[in-house]
Amino acid sequence: MNQFILRQGVSKELQFFPHILEFASQKFQTVQLHSLEIIKTECLKIYYVTEGKFEWMIDHQFYTLYPGDVALLRPGQYFGSEKGFFDLGTLWWLCIGPDNSQPSEAMQENWSGILAAEDHVAGKLLSFNHNPVLPGFKVVGEIFQQLQRELFIQEIGYRTRTSHLVDELLISIIRQLATQDTKRRDFPQSFLQLEQMLRDNLSHQWTVEEMAVTMRLGISAFTEKVKNYTGFPPLNYLINIRISEAIKLLKRTDLTLTDIALDTGFYSSQHFSTTFKKITGYTPSRFKKNNIGKS
Amino acid sequence: MQKLVNKKQKKENHQNRDCIITVDIGTSAVRIFAFEMEGAIIATMKGFYPTFHTQPDYSEQDPEQIFVTVLNVLRNILTEKIHPNKYKVAAICFSAAMHSVLPVDKNGTPLGNAIVWADNRAKKEAAELKNSELGEKIYHATGTPIHPMSPLAKIAWLRNNDKERFASTYKFVSIKDYILQQLTGEYVIDHSLASSTGLLNIHTLEWNSDSLAFAGIDGDKLPKPVPVYYSGLTFHKQYCANLGVPAKTKIIIGASDGCLATLGSGVWGEGKATITIEASGAVRVAGKKVLEDKKLRFFNYLLADGYYVSGGPTNNGGVIFEWFTRQFGTFQDYTDFEENVSDFFKEAAMVAPGSDGLIFLPYLLGERAPIWNANARGLYFGINIKHEQKHFVRATIEGILYEIYSIGKILEEHRSIESLYVNGTFASLPLWAQIMADMFNKPVYVNDTHDTIGKGALLLSLTGMGIYKNLEEASATIRFPHVFLPSQRDHNVYMSYFSIFERLSSKLEEEFSQIALLQQRK
Repeated sequence: MNQFILRQGVSKELQFFPHILEFASQKFQTVQLHSLEIIKTECLKIYYVTEGKFEWMIDHQFYTLYPGDVALLRPGQYFGSEKGFFDLGTLWWLCIGPDNSQPSEAMQENWSGILAAEDHVAGKLLSFNHNPVLPGFKVVGEIFQQLQRELFIQEIGYRTRTSHLVDELLISIIRQLATQDTKRRDFPQSFLQLEQMLRDNLSHQWTVEEMAVTMRLGISAFTEKVKNYTGFPPLNYLINIRISEAIKLLKRTDLTLTDIALDTGFYSSQHFSTTFKKITGYTPSRFKKNNIGKS
Repeated sequence: MQKLVNKKQKKENHQNRDCIITVDIGTSAVRIFAFEMEGAIIATMKGFYPTFHTQPDYSEQDPEQIFVTVLNVLRNILTEKIHPNKYKVAAICFSAAMHSVLPVDKNGTPLGNAIVWADNRAKKEAAELKNSELGEKIYHATGTPIHPMSPLAKIAWLRNNDKERFASTYKFVSIKDYILQQLTGEYVIDHSLASSTGLLNIHTLEWNSDSLAFAGIDGDKLPKPVPVYYSGLTFHKQYCANLGVPAKTKIIIGASDGCLATLGSGVWGEGKATITIEASGAVRVAGKKVLEDKKLRFFNYLLADGYYVSGGPTNNGGVIFEWFTRQFGTFQDYTDFEENVSDFFKEAAMVAPGSDGLIFLPYLLGERAPIWNANARGLYFGINIKHEQKHFVRATIEGILYEIYSIGKILEEHRSIESLYVNGTFASLPLWAQIMADMFNKPVYVNDTHDTIGKGALLLSLTGMGIYKNLEEASATIRFPHVFLPSQRDHNVYMSYFSIFERLSSKLEEEFSQIALLQQRK
């Protein structure tokens, strides 16, 4: 297998793909000290192991990767080897990042065919992924090989194909993440995971689509299942969480209504007050007055 | 046009008809039913809330989310199903899961989450009491088995391990008491729910001084115990207005879910026992006397008018079959969990009673009645080379039901049981009901509606309102559409295996302790 490292701004193979920051295939036959210190990842980085055994730390957790395994690193995650170097073996990697060289929108649309909304959902799913290692996921290796062929041979249509392959890679990974999470899990278990996700990111303006994708369900199937299980449509269920968290903040803190509203995911204090009154019959300030200082 | 007329007629027919709303604050959801006075269901709605397991032994729920969910579901059912059909709310009655504890401060603000029934953090406190004279005294006075589930042990835990929270607690309430306090401003607890705390003397109906001393509190740290028919509460004006009910709407405090499920399943009086299998399970009888079990294996919870609901709970009900499905289901092509479960039921039906000699001890979650051993663990016993997957499927179901049978068998030492009445998602399945009929060698009556707690609350309300003379008359209105008759031959098969099941459960006590210890070390 031929080894290569393509780098944005250096390798002319990448000149039409500013979002591909680095693409490489490397065989490590000798120990190269300090080749893999633990540092903060700055782009979306995907490793694929083809030979050997790699022992890595990802966000202070220890992982061992074997051939066929994929590591998926988000920007901001700490990644490296405790030994400070790459173990012996063969690896592919790809770094994808925002295009800094040419801020034109046309260029960005060129590289990704994933619709803006889906892209956002995909980003969410990636950022909520707690397990950065996808074991035995050979599809990634196959896509990397095709990507290499396209970039080096540059046959007619290679610019389109390259973009498609990157999209294909991201979609495959996201679907695999969702499958991995829901496999052998019944709805109640996956729902609890989603529940926690909503709580951890309560100020986010969740859409039903974002929630559905984390459970690998279509929007209508997801809505129906949530309704059956919880008695509420997804967004109404979310409102229960928002209001109950808001009640805690009203009772226990002196935060302003606007702060409480935004912390718990309402658009505004007005939106918060209307929803609060609809469910409890009280305005938030009246509710607060009734519940404190009666002693 | 015809439709319109019909609709109009229907509306007129319903003009001002009374209805009763029952609110059950259960272990994972609030279920609200609206009943006509004659017992027909007008509507039902539910609202889910999660349980948090922040540490291995911890099970907690957010009281505010439960409160918001109760309000929301109550408002929805009233505005969507009751008011448009011109029903008048004659009473709202409450029931709830037992054994929860929530410390609140002077303003009634929760100090953290509620500690719910499944929480085992008070293991040490319960063990300390368990084999002591004081423990025995408390058990006989309160009717609640000495167990980490009981609020008695949980409050003692707070005193020992969360001193700050313990010190700032104005009252220790249950989740239901909290909801009622929010709605009405009063701190009250019904006798039934109070009788499952380990803190109420079920003979005098006052807080039990030995329990209070063990928990380290005075009686004024607890809400005021009142009878289950108590209707001296009124909702705050704003809540009435928001719910669209008159300010003087009758609120009946109600009872615990376990007692009401027994009442609502029609089991009241001699010769009858009820079996409930949901995630966990229980075998219960109702009567005017408490069960004085020397080995302290049964609970005696009070319902009303001197009626006690007695019996034994198991941890290992439907949850064990769900565990089995999750591990061994095929889940091909993203099939639903439910499909895998029903595939397994089909497989189990293909195996003869007794699973050709494969026996399963279902104690994956440790066990309460009758062995009361938190260290007990599961076991497949008697596996031979001819056993296939389907045998394991059936053995798993049979093991869960041998456990139910073992509770029933000991109950029979105290009460004669002629017929069984089953309810709950799993117990009412035909295969399961038949196996129980065969094991007990008694007819099994199945009520496959899922509203026994709501029904119980309805019967309690109607009795409290004087429409039925007493609970016995009320419970006689329950009908059982299906009956499963026992087969003597299958009974004999099950009994030959059950004696092995029973002996394994007690013989392995030492090994259970050893393996539990090793598992904890992990």
